Amino acid sequence: MSLDIFSQYLINCLMLGMIYAMVAVGFTLFFGVLDIIQFSHGDVLMVGGFTALVTYAGAQALGVANPWLQLALMVLIATALTAGLGVLVARYLVLPLKNAPPLNTLLITLMMGMVLREGVRLAYPNGSNPQPFPRLLPGGVWSVGGFEARIDSTILLLVGLALITGLHLLITRSKLGLAIRAVAQDGETARIMGINFNWIVLLTFGIGSGMAALGGVMNGLYYTEINFGVGLLLGVIGFAAAILGGLGNLYGAILGGFLFAALQTVGAVVLPMLSQHIPSSYKDVFAFAVVIALIAWRPTGLIAEKSTERA
Amino acid sequence: MAEDALLVASGLTMRFGGLVALDALDLEVRSREVLGLIGPNGSGKTTFFNVVTGLYNASDGSIAFEGGDITNLSPQEIYRLGITRTFQRSRLSLSLSVFDNVWAGNFRNLDQGLIHNLFRRKTLRAEYERAVEQVRALLATFDAHLADRLFQPAAALAMIDRRRVEICRALISEPRLLLLDEPSAGMTHDETAELMDDIMQVREKLAPFSIVIIEHEMNVIQRITQRCVVLNYGEKIAEGTYAEITANPDVQVAYLGQE
Amino acid sequence: MRVPLTSRPVLLFVVAALVTWALAWALLGAETQLEVLALFCVTVAVAVVAAKMKLDAPVAAAASSHPRALGIACVVGVLALAVVFHEDHFPLLLLCSVLLYITACLGLNIQFGYVGIVNFAGAAFFGIGSYTAAMLAGHTGLPHVLVLLLGGAMASLISCVLLLPVLRTRGHYAALVTIAFATLFRSFLEVNDALGGPQGMRIPALNLFGWDLGADHEWGELFISFYDNYVLFALALAVLAFVLVRRLERSWMGVAMDAVRTDEISAKVYGISIARQKIVAFMFGNLLVGIAGATYGMMTGYVAPNNFTFADSLILVSMLLLGGLGNPWGIVPAAALILILPEKLQFIQEYRFLLYGVVIILILLFRSQGLLPRGIRRYFPNREAARG
Repeated sequence: MSLDIFSQYLINCLMLGMIYAMVAVGFTLFFGVLDIIQFSHGDVLMVGGFTALVTYAGAQALGVANPWLQLALMVLIATALTAGLGVLVARYLVLPLKNAPPLNTLLITLMMGMVLREGVRLAYPNGSNPQPFPRLLPGGVWSVGGFEARIDSTILLLVGLALITGLHLLITRSKLGLAIRAVAQDGETARIMGINFNWIVLLTFGIGSGMAALGGVMNGLYYTEINFGVGLLLGVIGFAAAILGGLGNLYGAILGGFLFAALQTVGAVVLPMLSQHIPSSYKDVFAFAVVIALIAWRPTGLIAEKSTERA
Repeated sequence: MAEDALLVASGLTMRFGGLVALDALDLEVRSREVLGLIGPNGSGKTTFFNVVTGLYNASDGSIAFEGGDITNLSPQEIYRLGITRTFQRSRLSLSLSVFDNVWAGNFRNLDQGLIHNLFRRKTLRAEYERAVEQVRALLATFDAHLADRLFQPAAALAMIDRRRVEICRALISEPRLLLLDEPSAGMTHDETAELMDDIMQVREKLAPFSIVIIEHEMNVIQRITQRCVVLNYGEKIAEGTYAEITANPDVQVAYLGQE
Repeated sequence: MRVPLTSRPVLLFVVAALVTWALAWALLGAETQLEVLALFCVTVAVAVVAAKMKLDAPVAAAASSHPRALGIACVVGVLALAVVFHEDHFPLLLLCSVLLYITACLGLNIQFGYVGIVNFAGAAFFGIGSYTAAMLAGHTGLPHVLVLLLGGAMASLISCVLLLPVLRTRGHYAALVTIAFATLFRSFLEVNDALGGPQGMRIPALNLFGWDLGADHEWGELFISFYDNYVLFALALAVLAFVLVRRLERSWMGVAMDAVRTDEISAKVYGISIARQKIVAFMFGNLLVGIAGATYGMMTGYVAPNNFTFADSLILVSMLLLGGLGNPWGIVPAAALILILPEKLQFIQEYRFLLYGVVIILILLFRSQGLLPRGIRRYFPNREAARG
C-alpha cells in the first residue's frame, strides 16, 4: 500500500474514531450520573447537524457570507439548541423514570430516537434523502514526504482532539466536574453534601448533548452531507464504544470510539487483502461481530467497570 | 470437631481487593442446633452467608457440609444439598403471587424439563394441587390469615407477612440448614418475637434442621440460640452460650460495649 | 365460581365479543379514511359508554370464569372474518400479518416478558426465518413443513451464537448484544450477493402436503382468495404458539423464568439455573419468531433487507409493551392496532414510526403495564373455574 493511500485510511480512521468518541463520552457521562442509557443520543447528534444546516440556510438568507462567521453561528446555535434538547430529554423522559426498571429508560429513549429521526425526516424539506452540507473549511492538501492529508480534515481532527481534551479537563479538573463525579460516584451522598442532584444531571445532559451537536457538525463538514438516519448508526456505535470501554469510564469511551473505527478500517482494508471473498462492504458486519465477541470475552468492558452492572 | 457437625468452615477467608471480610474463620454448625452469629456491622456475618451459599467464591479455606466438601460449589448445587437462606433486605418477587414466591423455593423437588412442563399437564396438575395444599399448610403455621392470600401479589402484603413468605420459601424444600439474615430488620419487637415462635413451631413439625441466625436483637439471640459465635473484623473472637459470650470481656469491648 | 351460561355477565361477554368483531370487520373492510376515522370515534364511544355503565368488569369476570371462551371467540371471529372477506386479498393479507406477528411476539414475550431478556433483534430473527425459507424452498426440494421448521431452527441456532455474551452480561450490556446483532444482520443482508443484496429474493408459495396455499380457488361463481389458505394456516400457528406459551407460563418453568427476571440472586440461591432458563427462553422464543418469519416470507413471496430493520425490531417490542408485558392476550389487540391502523389511514402511514414512538413513550411514562396488564399466574383456570 502506498503512503498516500495509507495516510488517507489513517486520517479517515482517526476522524471516525473522533466522532465515535464524541458520541461515546455522552453515553458514558449519562450512565455515570444516572446509571441509564440515553439511546436517542445518536439522534440528538443528528438533530445538531440539521440545526447547523438550518442555521447555515438562515445565515445565507440574511446575507452573512463569510464562511468562518457562518461556521461560528452554526456551531453556537446548534450546540445551544441541542444541549437544550438533551436537557429536555433528561427532564421529561429520563428523570421521571428514575425509579422504574433501567430497561424502561433504554426503551423510552430508543423510542425518542425514533421520534427525532422521523420528526426530522418529515419536517425537513425532502428530509428522506441525504442533504448536502456546506464546505466551509479551506480545501487543499498538505503533505510531508509522501504523507498527504486534506487541510479541512486536519482542522477537524485537531478541533476534535481539543474538544475531547477540554471535556476531559472539565470533568477531572473543574469544580463542576467534581460535582458531576460526586453524583456519578454516589448520588445519595452527593445530595446530602449539598449538591443539587437534578441540576447536575440536567447539566451533564446539556454538556453531553452539546458535545454531540459538535460531533454532528463535524460529521457534516467531513462527509459534506447529512442524513436523517445517521444518528441511529452513530448511536449504536457510540453505545458499543462506551460499553467496550466500560460504561461510566471516560477514557474507556474515547478508547472504545477509536477502537471501533480501527475495527471498521481493518474490516474495510485488511480483510479484503486477506481474502477476495470478503469485500470491504463487510466492514460493519466485521466490526459488530468483533464487538459481540469482545463483550462475550469481557462482559463489563475492556477497562473498568461500575459495580452496579457486574454480572 | 464435634461428632454431630453439620457444617464445618475451616480457615475460611474472603478478600475483596485489599479488604479482608473473613479472616481464616473456623466455624462449626452442629446438627439440630440454633446458632447465633453476632458482631458489629461489617464484621463479616453476611459475607459468611454469601460464601456458604456460593454467591461468593472463598479466597481461601474450605467448607464441608455433612462430611462432603462444598467449597466453591455453585449456589444451585449448595441449595440442592439442603442449605437455604433469607436475606437482610426482602428479596421477594413482588409482582408474583404468594404461592409463586413460596414455591420458587422448592425447585430441588421440581421437574424443570420442557416435556414435563409443556406436555404432561395431567401430572403437573396433580403436582400443582399437592403444592397448593403444601404451601397453604406451611403458611398457616405462621398465620392462618396468610394461607387465604395465596393468590395475591406479594406486593399487597405487609412487611411482617413478606418476612413470613420469605421464610416459608426457605422452608418449603425442607432444608437441613437454614440461614436467617437479620429476620427482625424492619419489624417491631412483638412482631419479631411472634415470627421466631412460628419458626420454632415449624421446626418441631418438620425434620429438625439447624439454624444459623444473624441478629442484632439480643433478646432474640438469648431466647432461641443454644450457642453463639461472635465475629469482629472477619475473625471469630468468642464462642459459647449466650451467657458465656456476654460475659466475655473481648466481646464487650468489640460489640456490647459500644451499645 | 362458574357463572351460569344465561347470566348477565355471559350475555354481556357475548355482546362484547360481537361488538368487537363488528368493529374488526368494519376496520378491515373500510375503504376510505373517513370511514376509519368514524370507526375510531365509534370505538372510543363504545369503550367510554361501557366504562361509564361499569360493564367492563362483568365482561372481564365472565371471560375469566370461562377461560376457554375468549380463545374460542377469537378463533371463531377470525374464521368469520376469513369467510366474510373471502374475495378480498388486502384485508386477508392484513389479517394474516396480524396472526403471524402475534406468533412472533409470543416468542419475544417468553424472552422479554418472562425471563427478562429484551431482544432488540426480533426483526432480524424474523428475517432469518424468511431468508432460510427462501434459500431452502428456492434451491432444494425439501417439503415445506420442514422448510418452516428449519426457518425457525435456524433463527434458534443463530440466537445460540448470541447466547454466550447474553448469558455473561446483564442489563445494558445484554441490550447492546442484540442491538449490535440487529445492525450487523441488516448490514450483512445488504452486502451479501448470494442472498440477493438490497433487492432481496423471491420465495415460492407455501405448499403443505399438496395443498398449494398460493392458489386461489374458484368454484363457479365462488371465488376464494389464496390468502384464506394462509389465514387458516397462520391461525393454526398462532393458536399453537399461544397454547404453548400459556402452558409454559402456567408451569414450574414459568415460575422459574419469572424468578430469574425479578431477582437473579434469589433465583440462584434457590437452585434455579439462570443460564438454563435464559437459553430455553431465547431459543424457544426465536424458534417461534423464525417460523412466523418463514411463513410470512412464503406468503408475501418475497424477502428484502428493508423489512428487517432495527425500526421493525422496535415495533415488535412496542407491540409487547402496548399490549402489556407478559400477558399473551395483550399482544392480540396491540398487534392488530399497530399493523392495521397505519395501513388503513394513509395519512398515518407516513407518520407511523413517529406515532408508534410517541405512543410508546406515553405508555412508558403513564401506563407502563400496557393495555391489558399481566395478572397473577393461574395454573389451571379451567379446572379451578369448574370446581368453584
